[in-house]
Amino acid sequence: MANDREVLREIWDGKLPICFQLAQEEIMEIQQPDPFYVMVPRLSYFPLVTDKMKRHFLRYISQENADNEMWLDYNGQPLKWHYPIGFLYDLFCGNDPQLPWTLTVHFTKFPETILLRCPNKDVVEAHYMSTVKEADVLKHRGQVMSTMQKKDHNQLWLGLQNDKFDQFWAINRRLMESHGDNEGFKHIPMRIYSDDGITCQRLICPKNNDGSRKTVHQLLSELYPDKAEVNLRTHGVLIPLDTPLQWLSEHMSYPDNFLHICLC
Amino acid sequence: MGDEKVPDDISQADSDNTKEVDQKENGDSVKSDKVKVDILLKATGNAPIMKKKKWAVDAEKPIGWIMEFVKKYLKLEPEEKLFLYVNQTFAPSPDQIIKNLYECFGTDGKLVLHYCKTQAWG
Repeated sequence: MANDREVLREIWDGKLPICFQLAQEEIMEIQQPDPFYVMVPRLSYFPLVTDKMKRHFLRYISQENADNEMWLDYNGQPLKWHYPIGFLYDLFCGNDPQLPWTLTVHFTKFPETILLRCPNKDVVEAHYMSTVKEADVLKHRGQVMSTMQKKDHNQLWLGLQNDKFDQFWAINRRLMESHGDNEGFKHIPMRIYSDDGITCQRLICPKNNDGSRKTVHQLLSELYPDKAEVNLRTHGVLIPLDTPLQWLSEHMSYPDNFLHICLC
Repeated sequence: MGDEKVPDDISQADSDNTKEVDQKENGDSVKSDKVKVDILLKATGNAPIMKKKKWAVDAEKPIGWIMEFVKKYLKLEPEEKLFLYVNQTFAPSPDQIIKNLYECFGTDGKLVLHYCKTQAWG
C-alpha cells in the first residue's frame, strides 16, 4: 500500500509555470497578444488546463481557424496531449531546466502524423481510463478495475480533473493494494522513454528470483546490461538507484497508474 | 483502395508460414531483418470477421497502423470507427508500439487483439 502520504501529497502538488505564446504566423491583429502565464499541475493533461488560454488567443487569430483544434509545441516539437504535463517537461527539459516553460500555441497545420486528435475532454477521459485499466491488468490481472463501480471510475477521473487529492486517493488506494499473500504487484506498470523517441514497456516483476525486493539498480542492469551509467528521472527528480520498484510504483506513479520515466 | 493487396510488411502467418522461411533462407540481401510478431485479430460485437486472422507484423509499428490495416481489409468507410482491445480490457492508444504490448500481454507467442465497430469494453 501507498503509505508515505507526504510523498503522495508532494507529487500531487507539483506544479509547472508555463508561458504560452501564440505562433507568429497565426497573429492576425496589429496588436501583438500578451503571452499567457499559468501554473499547471504536473499530473494533469494539457486539454484540461488550457481553456482560458485558448480564449485569450482566439481574438488574435483568423476567425476561419477559430474552430480548428489547438495544439502546442516546444522548440518545434509537437507535444502529445495524452502524456501528463510533468512527464513532457521532464522529457524535453529534464537535463536543461527552463522556467517558465515557454510553449507555442497553434491553430493551423495540425501535425496529423505525430499527434492524436483531441476534439473534447471525453477523449482525454477515455484515454485516461484505458491507461488505468492497462495498469491494473499488469498489477492485479485487471481485477480491481473490473470490480469497481462506474461511480468509482468517475471519482478517479473527477479527482484528477478537479485537482482533488482526497477524492482521487479514496479510490486510487484500492488500485495500490497488493493482493493475495503476495507483498507487491504482479507486475509494475512502467514506461521508460529515451531521447531517441523510443518507449520501452516490459513485464517487470517487483521481486527478484530469491524473493527480495527488486531495486531500480537491479532493473537497469537487466534492461540495459551494456550501459554503464544510466539514470532515471520522473517528477523532476533523479530516482535513487536503491529505490525498490514496488515503493516507486505505489508512490511515484502518475494518476494513470503508470510510472512514466525518462532515461538520462 | 479496396483490392486484396496487403502492405509489404504484413504477411499472412497461418497458411503460408513457408513463405517467410524461404525469404529468410535465400534473401539475406532482400531486407534488413525486421523483428516480426504474430498477432491474432478477433472480431467482436457487430464487426465483420476477417478471413485471415493471424498475421505476422513488424514489431516496431504502432497500434494505429494495425487499426488502419484492419479498416482497409474490412473495407470500412473512412468515417467508420474501429476499436481495438487488448485482453478484452483496454484500448491501447494508437501510438503504442506493438512490441511493447506483445512483451507485456502476448500469450503463446502471439498478441490477441479484439476489434469492433462500437466501444466494447469502455
